[in-house]
Amino acid sequence: MKQYDAVVIGAGNGGLVAAIRLLQGGARTLLVEKHNLPGGFATSFRRGRFEFEASLHELNDFGPADNAGDVRDLFDALGVTDKIDWLQIPEAYRVLSRAEKLDATMPFGVQAFIDKMEQYVPGSRPSMTKFFDLAEEVRLAQAYSSAVNGNTDSKVMVGKYGNFVRAGSYSVNEVLAALKMPKKARDILNAYWCYLGAHCDDLSFVHYASMVNRYIKRGASMPKMRSHEISLALTERIRELGGDVLFNTEAVKILTDERDGGVAGVVLDDGTQIATRHVVANCAPHLVFGKMMDRVPESEIRATNARKFSGRGFTMFLGLDADADELGVQNHNYFLYDTMDTAAQYDRMRTIRDNSVQATVCLNRAYPECSPKGTCMMYFTTLYMSDDWGNVTAEDYFKTKDYVANKMIDRFEQDTGARLRGHIEEISVATPMTYARYCGHPEGVIYGYESQYWDGLMPRLQMMAEDHKVRGLRFAGGYAMRLSGYSSAYFSGDISGRQTVGDIKKEG
Amino acid sequence: MAFTFKKQIFGFLDLLRFKKMVPRRRAKLAEGSPAPLPSTYRVNETAGVLHPGFQSAKLIAVVQNTADTKTYTFETERPFYFRAGQYVTLGCKVEGSAVSRPYAISSAPKAALSKRVSLTVKKCGFFSGYLFDNAKEGDLFTLGDPSGDFCYEPVKDARHVAALAGGSGITPFYSMAQAVADGTEDHALTIFYGARTERDLIFRKELDALVSDKIKVVYVLSDEQKEGFEHGFIGADLLQKYVSGEYTVMMCGPAAMYAFADKELAKLGLPLRRVKKEANCTGVRDVAAATHTLTVHIGFDTYTVPADARETVLTALERAGLNVPAKCRAGGCGFCHSKLVSGRFTIAGADKRRLADAKFGYFHPCCSYPDSDLELIVPKA
Repeated sequence: MKQYDAVVIGAGNGGLVAAIRLLQGGARTLLVEKHNLPGGFATSFRRGRFEFEASLHELNDFGPADNAGDVRDLFDALGVTDKIDWLQIPEAYRVLSRAEKLDATMPFGVQAFIDKMEQYVPGSRPSMTKFFDLAEEVRLAQAYSSAVNGNTDSKVMVGKYGNFVRAGSYSVNEVLAALKMPKKARDILNAYWCYLGAHCDDLSFVHYASMVNRYIKRGASMPKMRSHEISLALTERIRELGGDVLFNTEAVKILTDERDGGVAGVVLDDGTQIATRHVVANCAPHLVFGKMMDRVPESEIRATNARKFSGRGFTMFLGLDADADELGVQNHNYFLYDTMDTAAQYDRMRTIRDNSVQATVCLNRAYPECSPKGTCMMYFTTLYMSDDWGNVTAEDYFKTKDYVANKMIDRFEQDTGARLRGHIEEISVATPMTYARYCGHPEGVIYGYESQYWDGLMPRLQMMAEDHKVRGLRFAGGYAMRLSGYSSAYFSGDISGRQTVGDIKKEG
Repeated sequence: MAFTFKKQIFGFLDLLRFKKMVPRRRAKLAEGSPAPLPSTYRVNETAGVLHPGFQSAKLIAVVQNTADTKTYTFETERPFYFRAGQYVTLGCKVEGSAVSRPYAISSAPKAALSKRVSLTVKKCGFFSGYLFDNAKEGDLFTLGDPSGDFCYEPVKDARHVAALAGGSGITPFYSMAQAVADGTEDHALTIFYGARTERDLIFRKELDALVSDKIKVVYVLSDEQKEGFEHGFIGADLLQKYVSGEYTVMMCGPAAMYAFADKELAKLGLPLRRVKKEANCTGVRDVAAATHTLTVHIGFDTYTVPADARETVLTALERAGLNVPAKCRAGGCGFCHSKLVSGRFTIAGADKRRLADAKFGYFHPCCSYPDSDLELIVPKA
């Protein structure tokens, strides 16, 4: 029987990083991935003369070399930064709500952001300044928490990060109200909420502030060859470090040791058994405990059942036969909302009929050469906050897809005045079924478990140690302790990979 | 820190609240239902109908359409669904080699929901010849995922499709015509069907029976002049004679037909978004015979196999009986995505790889010819 110190199940962002960390820690490591490509959502695909990015709008917390963010530091440590050609995104976002007559374009850079906000909302400066002060303290407190693997000393927390602790149990809106931020400024600041997928009455302030701060402080980045470049660079690194990688190979079972219920091995889809005492699962606990393990502690069943799936993904990709200027597409990153009341908006995102929210990107505005001269590429993304796509039968599927695609194009044209119709050369649409197909996620969920208040970033980080209940089994990716998003998934792989190295060393 | 954040009048209440977050989550997790977790989900089930993956298919009927064409109807293991115009790969073991070929589906999408699917195959090569001479009812085959983008796209395509079919290139359009007739698809369809003689027309009766206000068929014979048929090749004049206004051209046929049609379409000044072309399988290349050695890593095993410089790397792998992924055989679907460790190769036609694939040394064996000994890592099928 083949034997490894650790098996990583799933070559998504979390799994790839976990595998490198394991190898760097000296563990003999096997990475298995059921798809024929690494990356999970982090990939690209060709249609005609276009190569579309499958999921990444912009990479948070990377930053240029002279303003390095945590992700760049991590990539440096992994040894992959230089394998990838990076570019910087020019501006943060444009948020539009036609119904509420809101149209604001926000820059990167904390000072520039505060200044621009003051122009849109006179008098917002004091509360915005406090917001970024608080957000920076959140970042520092999290760095401390990560450094001690979640085992924080409460004296240090209260002494050094008092504001963080005092704000740490509240929602975004509760904290912004306490900062006396004018409503319009809150609306503009909250535009990123759909990147986390929980509305701002429920979303933990700490989580949101942490993300906004990372975006605005360091700017956002993109690999020139789409996220597929990152995924292949990470895979390359795994092979350089002597790791084994198997694509088109699904891990169907995790075997357990009768004595302690911990990991004893992994069974692959062709029946091959791998002996190992350590698994990093870059997939949903719902799948691991629901069908991959025969003996699951009841506490894990209960905990898994208690959690809530986050948004199910939908993305339309367009290759257009005119450039962005000609089409009237002015910006790189748009958020188009019906209402700036995020809870009301969240509610409308439950159904296919009522959801017309979109986060839209024109990559050419950041990287003009990403498609042939005289063309451009756009991605339109939304989330569904219920399992409404579960009601769509195979027979109705293509019509439903087209219905949403048409709605997205109409909405973008109406809200921005751009003209896309008559220029669509290539179209591809990914629905929850597509995400379910490629990555196996239940219901086509793309954000893991929702960042609802009680299950937000802080308590997950603080409970990392006690959430680890099955010996030898750790999780990475959007369902894990750092929640979803590219940078979060990379960090989860970093944490679980390093922790597993520690587990192996303890066993001797 | 320039200011002290407080939500409640006394900051310690905020601290207390913070301290409760962990006990609260602990309690919530413990309160979860002890009922077994779901073993599947509706979206994932539907995804399985849309993308059934490889499945076994039993041949249940063989009908000879013309002297060199037969339609094979299969019963599949599971119901599935597809878009008219898509292809599937059909495979089996032939003389020790794992062989498969992509064929456009000629039956209607709805039929696949009842586990019925038909492929119409012209006898022209190794695998089709094997099918023609040997396949019989009851035989078991492997059927792949319905694939490809050679389909009508209502969001971007014109309401009228001008279909250019050459020979057995009629198959995707026969499926499409059935989909229009049964209401699955909603667009006008004018099929220009080119064949050498009337006797070479496949589905003549079936197509005539589908003609309606939405569906028209124009038969174009190259080797015969007959009443009721156009004569010659499908060109700009014929298109202008039968279709007007906005239309999308979809073509499926041999390379020679594409070469002719491309020149003709240039006269009409159609933009790229109005023309779709189904890809053909990569064939042999015209170079001197030479044998290279492939060192192939699949899973935990390594194989050494010979490769003919005239044939694709994929063909060499299949000839050696290796179980490797194969789907479009034209470099477009990416299914055979493999890592080149060392050696040189030439891609047939345009490079359809992703940018990063080229950068990190990945390639598609189905459309690449070996120019030296190669070492490669191929995923198992």
